[in-house]
Amino acid sequence: MDINRWLQTNTFHHRQFWDLMRLIEEKERQGLRVSLCIPTLNEEKTIGKELVLFRSELMDRYPLLDELAVIDSGSTDRTLEVAAAFGADVYLSSDILPQLGNKRGKGENLWKAIYQLNSDIICYVDADIKNIHPRFAYGLIAPLIYQPSIKYVKAFYDRPLATSNEIRPSGGGRATEILVRPLFSLFFPELTALIQPLSGEYAVRREVLECIPFPMGYGVETSHLIDVYSEWGLEAFAQTDLDQRVHRHQPTRDLGKMAFGILRAFFSRLRSRGIVPDLPPLTPLLRQFQVQGREYEQVIFELPEEERPPMIEIPEYRAKRGLDA
Amino acid sequence: MTEAISQEDQVLHRVRRLPPSLEGFREMLLANLIMIGEIPAPTYAESQRIEFLKQRFTECGLSNCSTDDVGNGLAVLPGSGERRRSVLLTAHADTPFSSTVPHTLTVDTQRITGPAVADNSLGLAVLATLPSILEQLDIRLRSDIVLMGATRSLGRGDLAGLRFFLENNDLPITAGISVEGAQLGRLHYASLASLGGEIRCTVRQESDAEEGSQPSAIAELTEVIDRIRALPLPEVPDPIRALPLPEVPDTTLVLGAVEGGTSYKTPAKSALLRFQLRSEAGKVLADLEQRIEGIVEEVSLDSGAEIRFEVIARTNAGGIPADHPLVIQTRRIMASLGIQPRSDRFSSTVSSFIEHHVPSITLGISKAHNLSQCDESVEIEPMLKGVAQLIGVLLTIDGDCCDGH
Repeated sequence: MDINRWLQTNTFHHRQFWDLMRLIEEKERQGLRVSLCIPTLNEEKTIGKELVLFRSELMDRYPLLDELAVIDSGSTDRTLEVAAAFGADVYLSSDILPQLGNKRGKGENLWKAIYQLNSDIICYVDADIKNIHPRFAYGLIAPLIYQPSIKYVKAFYDRPLATSNEIRPSGGGRATEILVRPLFSLFFPELTALIQPLSGEYAVRREVLECIPFPMGYGVETSHLIDVYSEWGLEAFAQTDLDQRVHRHQPTRDLGKMAFGILRAFFSRLRSRGIVPDLPPLTPLLRQFQVQGREYEQVIFELPEEERPPMIEIPEYRAKRGLDA
Repeated sequence: MTEAISQEDQVLHRVRRLPPSLEGFREMLLANLIMIGEIPAPTYAESQRIEFLKQRFTECGLSNCSTDDVGNGLAVLPGSGERRRSVLLTAHADTPFSSTVPHTLTVDTQRITGPAVADNSLGLAVLATLPSILEQLDIRLRSDIVLMGATRSLGRGDLAGLRFFLENNDLPITAGISVEGAQLGRLHYASLASLGGEIRCTVRQESDAEEGSQPSAIAELTEVIDRIRALPLPEVPDPIRALPLPEVPDTTLVLGAVEGGTSYKTPAKSALLRFQLRSEAGKVLADLEQRIEGIVEEVSLDSGAEIRFEVIARTNAGGIPADHPLVIQTRRIMASLGIQPRSDRFSSTVSSFIEHHVPSITLGISKAHNLSQCDESVEIEPMLKGVAQLIGVLLTIDGDCCDGH
């Protein structure tokens, strides 16, 4: 598909979907159900606001969401208490499909949401958005409701007008511009059209989610894009401009971990798809350095990039959804 | 008389039962508070907030959703009565925070925190939520309720939004209620006269002189402040004192803000004082205004500095008496909800209503902390009680319980 044509037809602005009554009518006409899932790990400061807004605006005032769920990785702060107080369905990731064990990472929560939630569309929204607004959900869900050919909608953002030490502009973030987009340019040029491939907000049809594997760590978004693209092509994607997103600043060292996770997931896709078949085994060890006084020392992080198989291969899921009947 | 008491008792009985039925509206109120509070609205730049408010009014199916010449956001919740009468419910939309201040709010189970969250994002959020509450609880009023997000209220705005509306509308407004986010228990029904002033001092500095020998605008402004503070704040003559107001000093000087200079080691080239004088009598303020003009002139002549005094806001004294039925019945409503009324003699919005002979009160919705700071916060739990109180007062006015005075 021509990238320019795709940009014209599949790139939206949230303002195009301001008419929520119309959106809900269309949702009901198609008999669709929509879930919103917020993966959390120690997000007590921001989770309350997200839940208040989504519940009040998109469940009570405009019934776009049928489920509002928090799936938590084992927070040690008051995340669970706050989430329950504001009316979310709260799940511990380790309690979902416990017989399959519990893996560390956000991808585990996203994957288990497919089993736990019941809707046709799942919208994932990160919990650390300081300027949360209902558009973060309806802006992503609307293209799926209005256009049956679209299967996966990604968010992208503008730069904030004002920043302080604690917030940063996220439009075209650092990891995207110096890592992911160059990699896509080399191997999957059409995917460069996604303005923010790493954004943590996206809405996806169940029929897609259940068919793709889920890396547990930082590579989950990148591998999603490659997998969906390989199966359904660029026309399955859309992206929505949600204006501004204000969130926590990521230290450069943490960006290094993110890049490492993305690279591992990316290379594993290159290998499994036969694009670069002869890669050596990839180490799970990330080496960084720090200086104390005049002494330099190596710091080694072990970052295994585990992966969950497509949910549709899990017998419990097939049984729950009646897929073997 | 018997019928009136019966009507009042009916209202009290209804109000006591309100808080539990308001529980289902807590999240709607909080959501409106968050969305309104995150839209910056410095005085003269409230249009985005007003647009949001108007959108809410439209969604609620109110009539006459509009913006007037000064940007006030208006809508009417039509009453069912045959006699045409209106109650004005207003909340100021502007805040003292610049657009460049991050306006993200944080939400805990106990409170919401962020710039101007209480003063007056919460007041505006109550206006945005109230039509839904009244509709869903099937509370039908005979009077039209005019809902107004008022612009240009603070500082140099000098209540221009409310004043414009009161001067230019042709509605039969029988009472006014100003909604403030804080504090719960606030019951203002009278106002002192006030004068808000700015004194700006600028000194001439020689480019070839040593820094240490340059004059400082802060020193000259300090001289002005010292002389203003030395002014005798006069006693008020007895006829004016007859106003039914609680005990506070007759005339008060509030030194509100100073700005000036750029560095600790460089004499300031300019300095600014913002202050307010409050008094039971406008005449006293007129006298003090003249004296301050004299002080400014004298210090300017003595020092060679350019010193300008400007009055940026002014309100008149007056109000309704403490035994006005609106006040008495509001106290009863508060008591029935366990709210301790707290009266204060300075309420600038009451002053605007006074000028148009409209009985009015100002009510607070919840408990707030760190007012006017970036970490201003407002407690969630008391909010519904504050809303119940407001609905009670509306029912009171609507039931003619306040017409006897």
